[in-house]
Parts: sequence; C-alpha cells; structure tokens
Amino acid sequence: MFDTSVVFDAGVVGLRMLMPLFAIVIVYQCYAAMRRRRRPEKPLVSLYNPNTGGMIPVVFWENSIGRSKASDIIVNDLSVSRNHCVLLRRSAGWFISDVGSLTGTFVNGVRVNGRAQVLIDDIITVGNTEYQLKRGDDFTSPLRTNWFFSKVSDKPAIQAWKLMLMVTLFHLFMAVEAMFWNDGTNVYSPLVLFFALAAVEWGFFSVSYFALRRVNFELEALGLFLTGIGVMMLVRQVERSAYVQLIASGIGIALYCVIIKFIEDPDRSDKIRIPVMIAAVVFLSTSILLGKVTNGAANWVYIGSISFQPSEFVKTIFIFIGAGALDKLQTKRNLIEFIIFSIVCVGLCALMGDFGTALIFFVTFLLIAFMRSGDIKTVILAVAAAVFGVVIVLRFKPYVASRFEAWRHVWEYANDPGGYQQVRVLTYVASGGLFGVGIGNGYFKQYFASESDLVFGLVSEEMGVIVAIVIALAVALLMIYARAIATRTRSTFYSISSCCAAGLLVVQLSLNIFGATDILPLTGVTFPFISSGGSSIISCWGLLAFIKAADERTYSIKR
Amino acid sequence: MKRILRRSTLVLIFTIAFIVGIGFFTVELVMGAKDWIAQPYNAHVSGSSGLEEAGKILDRNGNVLAETVDGERMYNGDEGVRRALLHTVGDNSLNISTAVQSKYRSLLTNYSLIWGLNMPQSMRTSRDITLTVDAPTCKTAYEALETTGCKGACVIYNYKTGEVICSVSNPSYDPQNPPEITEENQSEYDGVYLDNVLSSAFTPGSIFKIVTAAAALENNAPLLSQPSICYCNGTETFGSSDVHCYGWMPHGSVDLRRAMSESCNIAFAHLALDVGPEKMQSMADKIGINSSFNVDDTPTAKGHYKAPETDDNVLAWTGIGQGFDEYEDKVNPMQMAVICGAIANRGSAMNPTYIKSGTGGILEMMGIKHNESHNLINSDTAQKVDDVMPSYTLGGVNAHAKTGTAEIDVSNNINNAWFVGYSTEADCPLAFACVVARTNGIGDNTARPIVDAAMAQAAKAVRGY
Repeated sequence: MFDTSVVFDAGVVGLRMLMPLFAIVIVYQCYAAMRRRRRPEKPLVSLYNPNTGGMIPVVFWENSIGRSKASDIIVNDLSVSRNHCVLLRRSAGWFISDVGSLTGTFVNGVRVNGRAQVLIDDIITVGNTEYQLKRGDDFTSPLRTNWFFSKVSDKPAIQAWKLMLMVTLFHLFMAVEAMFWNDGTNVYSPLVLFFALAAVEWGFFSVSYFALRRVNFELEALGLFLTGIGVMMLVRQVERSAYVQLIASGIGIALYCVIIKFIEDPDRSDKIRIPVMIAAVVFLSTSILLGKVTNGAANWVYIGSISFQPSEFVKTIFIFIGAGALDKLQTKRNLIEFIIFSIVCVGLCALMGDFGTALIFFVTFLLIAFMRSGDIKTVILAVAAAVFGVVIVLRFKPYVASRFEAWRHVWEYANDPGGYQQVRVLTYVASGGLFGVGIGNGYFKQYFASESDLVFGLVSEEMGVIVAIVIALAVALLMIYARAIATRTRSTFYSISSCCAAGLLVVQLSLNIFGATDILPLTGVTFPFISSGGSSIISCWGLLAFIKAADERTYSIKR
Repeated sequence: MKRILRRSTLVLIFTIAFIVGIGFFTVELVMGAKDWIAQPYNAHVSGSSGLEEAGKILDRNGNVLAETVDGERMYNGDEGVRRALLHTVGDNSLNISTAVQSKYRSLLTNYSLIWGLNMPQSMRTSRDITLTVDAPTCKTAYEALETTGCKGACVIYNYKTGEVICSVSNPSYDPQNPPEITEENQSEYDGVYLDNVLSSAFTPGSIFKIVTAAAALENNAPLLSQPSICYCNGTETFGSSDVHCYGWMPHGSVDLRRAMSESCNIAFAHLALDVGPEKMQSMADKIGINSSFNVDDTPTAKGHYKAPETDDNVLAWTGIGQGFDEYEDKVNPMQMAVICGAIANRGSAMNPTYIKSGTGGILEMMGIKHNESHNLINSDTAQKVDDVMPSYTLGGVNAHAKTGTAEIDVSNNINNAWFVGYSTEADCPLAFACVVARTNGIGDNTARPIVDAAMAQAAKAVRGY
C-alpha cells in the first residue's frame, strides 16, 4: 500500500527543514566571499633610513609616526614626540601631516604646516631621524597577514550573480510557503510581491555591476537577503505594508549609493561637520515640534500621508560626524564638540519619550568616543552620567519604570502592560519550534507591533527559531567583518564609521531581540533590516553604506 | 590605524555579549518552551484546533470523557458528566489551568522542542489518558452540589492508593458549549475557571475541631484528663469577648467525644487555650494547613492558620475554625480530605492523583509519581482522633465524619457548610471533603447530603459492586 499523505508530509517537512539550512548557506557564502579577492598584503610604500640602512614597510593608508609604542611606525628617538606626525595616502598621492609635535616635521628641509605632499625619494625629517620615501616594492620581506584574510582557499569566491540567485530563490520559497497558507482570496499575491522584490534586487545588482562596475556584491546581497525576508514576512500580515517596505528599501538602497559617493573623500566629514550637526539637530527637533505622540513616544513626523522618524536618519549623520581621519583625530584631541552634539541628540530622543533610540545613540556615542580618543575615563564618566540620567527618567516617567518592574518576571504580568508583549513573543517562539509553522500560518501576526518591535517572535513562529537566530547573527557578524578590515581601510574615518555603524546595529539588535524575549527590559526598537518600518530600513541601508565604504575596493577597483 | 583596531575591541565586546545573550536565550527556550506554549492566548493550542490530534481522556472505567472525532473535540454524551468533570478534564480553551487538558496540552497536542506545535502529521501519535475519577459518582455529586446554587466543591479519594474518585467544583459550565462570558453575565460565572477542590480555600468552621482535637490529644492537654472539659452554657467569655455555640445552644457538661459529636464551641475554645498558641500553631503547620502540596504538578491552595500570641478570645475562635482578620482560619478542600485520609490511615496520607494510566509513554513524560505518602500526624494521635470522631452512615457506608458551619455573616445567616471524614470499611478506603460556600444552610443539612449521595456511587466504583 502506498500512502500519499506521507509523501506530501515528507515534502512539506523537507521544505521546512531546507529553509534554515539554506539561510545558513547564504549567510555563510556572503561572509566567505568577503574574504576573497583582496589585495595581497604588501607595503604601499616604504621608508628608508639612510643612516641605519633600515627599511620600514608602510602598510596602512594612514600611519601614525611617533615614539609611542602604539604608533604604526615607531621611531626610537627622544627628539620625536609620542605622536609626531601622520603619513597618509589620498587620491592625489602621499601626504604628511604634523600633529602638534614639539620639534616639527620637515619634508626636504621645509617645515610642514598642515598636510604637505611627499613624493617618492623625498626626505622626511622627524626629530633627529631622517626617512626617504621609497616604493612599496622596494621592501621585500613577507608581512604578517590578518586572520580574516589568511588561509583563504584558492577557490574563487562564489560569483555575485550566483549568490544573488540563491537569495532570490530563498525569497521565492518564502512566497511559495505563503501561497500555501492562503485564506482563499489572495492566493497569488505572495508571488506578485516576490516578482516586485526580485525586480528591486536584480535592478540594484545590475546598477552595481554594469553602471558602477563594482566587482563585489556580497555585502549588498546580505542586505537584500535580510530586507527581502522582512518584506516577504509582511505579505500574509498587512500586504500593503509589504509594498511600503519594498519602496522604502528602494529609497534606502538609493541612499546607500549616495552615501558611498558622498564619503568618497574621507576628509569631507571634518569640513562640513558644523552645518551637518546643526541640520541634524534641527531635523531631530521637528519631531518635537511637529511630532505626534504614538505609543508613548513623539518620534513620528507626519507630512501629508507620509510619516517618518527623524531619529532614524540622524543615526547615519551621527556616525558620519563621529568619525574622522587619523591626523584630525590626533590634532584635535578633545571631544567636546562631539560630546555636545551627542548630549543634544540623546536629550532630544529622551524628550520625545523614545528611550530606546536614546539608548542606541548613547551606546554609539560611547563606541565613537572611545575609538576616537582611546580614553576610557571619558567612557566611564559618560556611563556614570547616563546611570544618573536613567534614575531621573525612572522618577519622572512611571510608565518606563513599570517596564523594569516586569523585567525578568513577565509571566506574572502576562495580562498587564508590563509583560503582555514579551510573554506572547515567548509563547509563539516556542510554538514555532526549530522550523516554524509556515509563513502565514502563524497567529502572532495578529498582535500589535508583531511586525516591528516584536518581529523576532513573528520570524521565529513562522520560519523557526533557527532562521531567526541565523539572520540575527548575520547582522551581528557585520561587526566582525568591519573589525577585520579596520586596518585595511582608506582612512580611520572608514574604520571608525564602519565599526561604529556595525556596533550600532548590534546594539539595536540586542535591544530588539532581548527586549522582546525578556532578557533585557523592553524598549521598542526595530530589528535591523527585518522590522517593518520605512525610516528604519532606510537608515539600516544608510549604515550599511559605511561598512561598504570601509572596503578599500569600493572606490579603487573597477571591473 | 593599529590604535583604532585595538580600540574597536570595545565594539567587539558588545558583539560577543550579543552572542552570549543569544546562547542564554537558547537555554531559556529549551528549559521553558513547554510551559511557554501552554497559555490560554496561544491560538495554536487553545480552541478546538489545538486538540485536533489529541488522544482520549477516559474515566476509571473507560468511559470517554473527551475525544477528537473528525478534528472536533467531543466531550462525554451526558451534559451532567461534562459539567461535573469540567474542572478535571478541561475544555478547548486553556482557561482552567489545573485541568488535565490544560496541564498536559503539550503532550496531548504532540508538542516537541524541534517541531514546536507543528509536528508533521505522519509523525504524530495520539496519547490517551485514563483518569482515576468515576463519571457517575462525579455526576451525582455535582448535581447535588449544583442544586445548592452556591460556590462549592466535593472531593472523594482513596486514601490507600491516592486515586481521586470524585472531584467536582461549582460553578461550572458545559465544555461542549462553553458560554461567552460578557460583562452582563460575568457575576454568574465568577470564579468559574477555578477548581475549588484544588485552588480555593474557605473558612472551615467546626471541621477545624479535628485539628484542635489532634493538638490536644497529641500534647496530652490537662483538660482531657478531667471527667469533662467544661460545663457549656451556650456562651462564655474568653479574654475580652464572648464565644458562643451555634444558636447559643447549651451543651451542659461535655467530654471530648460529646464535644465532637455535638460540636460544642465552648469546649474547643477551652481546649485551644489549654493547648496554647504555640502548640496549636505547630499542629496546624505539621498537618499542612499553611502549606501547599502538589497533586499531579498542581499546587493546592494554601490554607491559613495563625494562632494569636496574646489575644485569648481570638485564639479560642481560631480553635473552632473561625478567627478574625489576620487570624481567620482557611482550609483547602483537598487538604481536608488528605487530613481525614491520614487519620483513617494511622497518620500517613497517600498523595492524591487524578491520573490512573496513559498510552504512548505519557505518564513518563508527565513525570507523575504514584504512591507517595506523607506522615501528617503520628499514628497514636491518629488512633485517638479516630476514637472521638462522630459516626455516620453515608450511602450505606459506615463512616467517621465531622460537620462544620463557619459563620461568615451572622446577621444574614450566611455560612460555609462543610462535611469531611472517611469511610471505616476496609474494602472501601475513602476520605472525603465537601464544602458549600456562602449558603444559608449548615454542614449537616447542606454538605452532608451531597456526600451521602456521592458515597453510595463511590463505594460501588471502588468495590466494583
């Protein structure tokens, strides 16, 4: 006897088990491809010391020179300051910039004021030490390689179009699943949405490949993979939102391209920071002036039928302002300007009642401040101030305190505002098991905020907890990538901005997932790339641009 | 550049913290998932859809109490049985959290950590659970309880095996046609999701004299060595105020046996003072009034006994099962049945259970342990208490029992009527407790008839004839 129901069952089971596996493969392929096709680890130029005959390789685009052990090029000469000068590469060539040394920096005997160009065979004098700039090829000894790029197999990376095909196929499977769980009226609507999504994905791919002639697309593929999951999750919930999300993603991708172009010059942030800061503060203030209070926070601005959250866009600006080139970091040591800007941003968010975003800004501030100055005292001081601030907030905003009250005891508050949302997330995460109940087959979608703040529950219920964790890790690993390329960027501006953008995403991710699952108090922030919300998805793509820009190939290598 | 890399460690710490957090969440998920899914709002398990694949629930004789037919959950054909066993079996919703269909919903619905609540059809197995309850006994008891129109409970269990034969709670409803509870009818259904047998505690009145008697006997209270405890005039001043017998009826000169059978408050007031607050408290604690115990994973409601250190009048009232305010006595019906079982069984009480057997390894998964017993009082004291317990014949079964009437509102004649005790026949080792709360009746005319009707059936169920 042949039982067809068993075959059907096996098919459904097979597809459901395939999805998590497929997600793992895609995320793995994206990251594996990031390691490949890199410039070989070779000195860019080298410094020849005519007195000793020694040769120093210059491996970074920006190199600090000084007596300090932490300098990129250490000069053991008592007449050299701890941080003496910075040797940096720009599109116009190599420059040297004195960063407030006691004895000055000289090129061919002329004292340097600001940045001065250095040509091959020019003599650089720091203190009593002289160096002659030589070509990189003149240095022949091998260099130690970064772990991320070492032991990369010789196999070429997966080709970008194949990776894109996998991503699109994943979204197609999602659409098929959603078609299976129809309510009888909109059977084919997931397929229609899928084609719209695929058009955006392949449109972006074509622009990058043919118009911008970029060789690598893995970061974008990862972003599209996540964005697409967010869009497809909405099709059986509020179909209209799925299209809104898709359009917003398109705008986000456009912003992504614009930001990459805009920060091509790493010194631009320093030049235009004052007007940008003022613009950001004014923009953020519109929330307070024009904003309507929605769910306890006045962080929405409505213009006609379009609504947006200025705080989401300011995140991008925040990163842009915070980062800077190495010589600028070393000359302008104090952070006062950035601290004031941060206080205003955090303060405005707190004033709107959007404490989740205020917390994200604050942690990002800590990351930027520390990466710029290396000053742990500033960080400790800021944390102390923040703890004080939180105490004040809890005193005057009792509804925030009530969330803390339920924290780690949500089951006792299952039908009270303090724990209502979290217990439902936990219940539906557990109900989905490892493989989920199928897209559109869940019940959690009926709850308020299930597509935004609580989306971890929605993804876990419908696609299974494995997929939910894999996409969370996919976002978190951006930080590992940003850190791996931190010394291979074209400027510390990119190192700082990419690490901090990735850090911001991780902080936001933590607040979202752990808030919804009662590991941290619930703050109501979005899951990067997945949560429904136009402003949020646009800002995620904006932040991703900083990570893309940190890759030196983005600007140099054309296909 | 090297400095920047080093400083980015701070960002890395956040990322590592995030990954650790995900690990922590995974552990929490694995540990808690089974409890997380069994929530009344979980649409995967509540409602008929949750029980689509669930196995049968049977009574001790194999009568079907609930089964799934063509994806529909069907309950017993007799509405009386359905209403009587609502709190034991449960309904499609998960509102009655102590019912079998709620507590073991994850086992009945084929929940697994891997598949969640969406196990592939061909992998599902249906598991049946056989309960210890007897449907006809429950129906009889429930119908008698329901006619009082009051909140109440009746439980009968086998103190040798722990099997619960009868367990009913009022108010109830028909699980086949659950009522829609709205603002208009909610007073009618107030407390309907609560199983009064397990989850409620009521002021006991005179049934508490069993505890006071046990305390006096165990501690050899001086008054017991006299020919009579006291001379009862129907009322007497203790401390700052009076204690009176029910209806201010004088009992004359009473010994312990008469004090029990005629329920003389004055005599027990004397005994409570004679024993003293410390020893009263210690007996109440030992016998389990202030603690909760587990019946198949369900913790029973705690009772309450607190002996006042200084106020003699209140101490006297607590000794006769009343007390006031923070010293007000409360007992849980199941707890009282277990105490009676312990007296009948020479001090040791078998832990009650509702689960007789199951298929598909369901008992192992539930983690049910049968045949657990506790020593509530020493066997000597149990023997002595047994000697002074009044005798009754209930449904043809010889029994020792105690009535109780807790005066809740004297001016409106509102009482809690109680009847607790145990059969003295060796082939029918049953202990019982019945309470009718806020009634105009008294223990003897309100609670006793319910037990009387149920015991005849229960004895038949246990003896098999």
